[in-house]
Amino acid sequence: MNPARTLMPLARTEELVVEQLPDETLVYDLKRHKAHCLNHTSSLVWQHCDGRTTTAQVARLLEEKWGLPRDERIVAFALERLRRARLLADGTHAPGDGISTSRRELVRKLAAVGGLTMLLPVITSLKSPLAAAQASTTTSAQCNLCIGVGLPCSDRPGKVCTANTPTQGKCRCV
Amino acid sequence: MDKLDRLGWTAAVCFVCHGLRIGVRANTPKVLDQLLELLPPGAKPARGRRVQRLYSVIAGGAKRGPGIRRFNMLYVDEVRLVRSTEWERVRTALEMDLQLYVAEFARRRVFVHAGVVGWRGRAIVIPGRSLSGKTTLVRALVDAGATYQSDEYAVLDSRGRVHPYVTKMSLRDSTRAQPEKVHPETLDWEVGVRPLPIGLVVVTSHRSGARWRPRRLSAGRAVMELLAHTVSARWQPERALATLRLAIANAKVIKGTRGEAEEIADALLSAAADGGERVAASAV
Repeated sequence: MNPARTLMPLARTEELVVEQLPDETLVYDLKRHKAHCLNHTSSLVWQHCDGRTTTAQVARLLEEKWGLPRDERIVAFALERLRRARLLADGTHAPGDGISTSRRELVRKLAAVGGLTMLLPVITSLKSPLAAAQASTTTSAQCNLCIGVGLPCSDRPGKVCTANTPTQGKCRCV
Repeated sequence: MDKLDRLGWTAAVCFVCHGLRIGVRANTPKVLDQLLELLPPGAKPARGRRVQRLYSVIAGGAKRGPGIRRFNMLYVDEVRLVRSTEWERVRTALEMDLQLYVAEFARRRVFVHAGVVGWRGRAIVIPGRSLSGKTTLVRALVDAGATYQSDEYAVLDSRGRVHPYVTKMSLRDSTRAQPEKVHPETLDWEVGVRPLPIGLVVVTSHRSGARWRPRRLSAGRAVMELLAHTVSARWQPERALATLRLAIANAKVIKGTRGEAEEIADALLSAAADGGERVAASAV
């Protein structure tokens, strides 16, 4: 890794709600209405996205805290996942650019050093649901607005609101 | 809204539900009386004329002659929600919209779409979308001795406890196109009256013949599973996350595909009683 580019990028801070759990971090993206659950390793990497810490320092922290092999590729892998989840500030470079960070390769490496695959940086994401999707039934009027896809229709017995297709344009109860 | 206000409204009611002031008005007192039974649990009559949401219901009445259609109408503030010759459509839409509105904007509660039963002073919460088998599992758990708390929403307070939310249950079966609405008290079920801390969260869906082999979820994944069914997730994500975190602080959260509800009811009650360890152990 190029020493000039080994500083950690900046974490995004705007329009996020962060809830810290003992080992994990929950992040809600107010802009995209997406929730992310960062496991312990990706959480630790994200906490050190301050533009000052080096990737080598974070790799050492991962080794000290979780017993992971001291490998900057693991940090780069986590940063790539964070970038995809849009949890890094816009315009900051990802130090992992150009480094092979395939998941399969890391799993193989971690498995080789004693079944540490559970420690792989993972981010679980969820698109926050619309309130109407939490109803027990929908109506044909709401179905027309593509709200309540998959719910049984209350005014057309036996029908279910079905997702739209490009040719139909709107959802409908079928 | 002015045009709507000029119509002849002869009956109106104002009520408060979870901190929200809601009004319902109708063109005849008899119609309003019919609608009062649709108010969500926790609704209390209130004085005053100012409301945050106003439902206006016009009952079309009987057909008076050939070529004349008498529509029943439902408006939410100035937006028309239903226009139909079938009165039942208005009732269903009003009931559904009232429940959703309260669930989304309640001031001090977080509503999670879930079935809930009580067992030995703790709640078993079963989050899930419609048709995921929540009611069936709630029914099996109550038959196995649990106390009915809710079939529709887990209502969480700021301490993460679940409050009872007793409404008519929608019992579906293959012989009927529309679900049958039954009040739990008519089934002689024991109905919970107190808020309970959560002991067990069961994230499950039904697949015929599936073997029950649940796995434990981490706290973060557990909050995500509940957030996926939280009505106010978009409106108040900060409060939703904080409340859900508290709610599962002392709970076990398990996930798995189940077969028939009766087959796992006893296992779930045992798991709730011993903190989920037994079910988790059987998964290993």
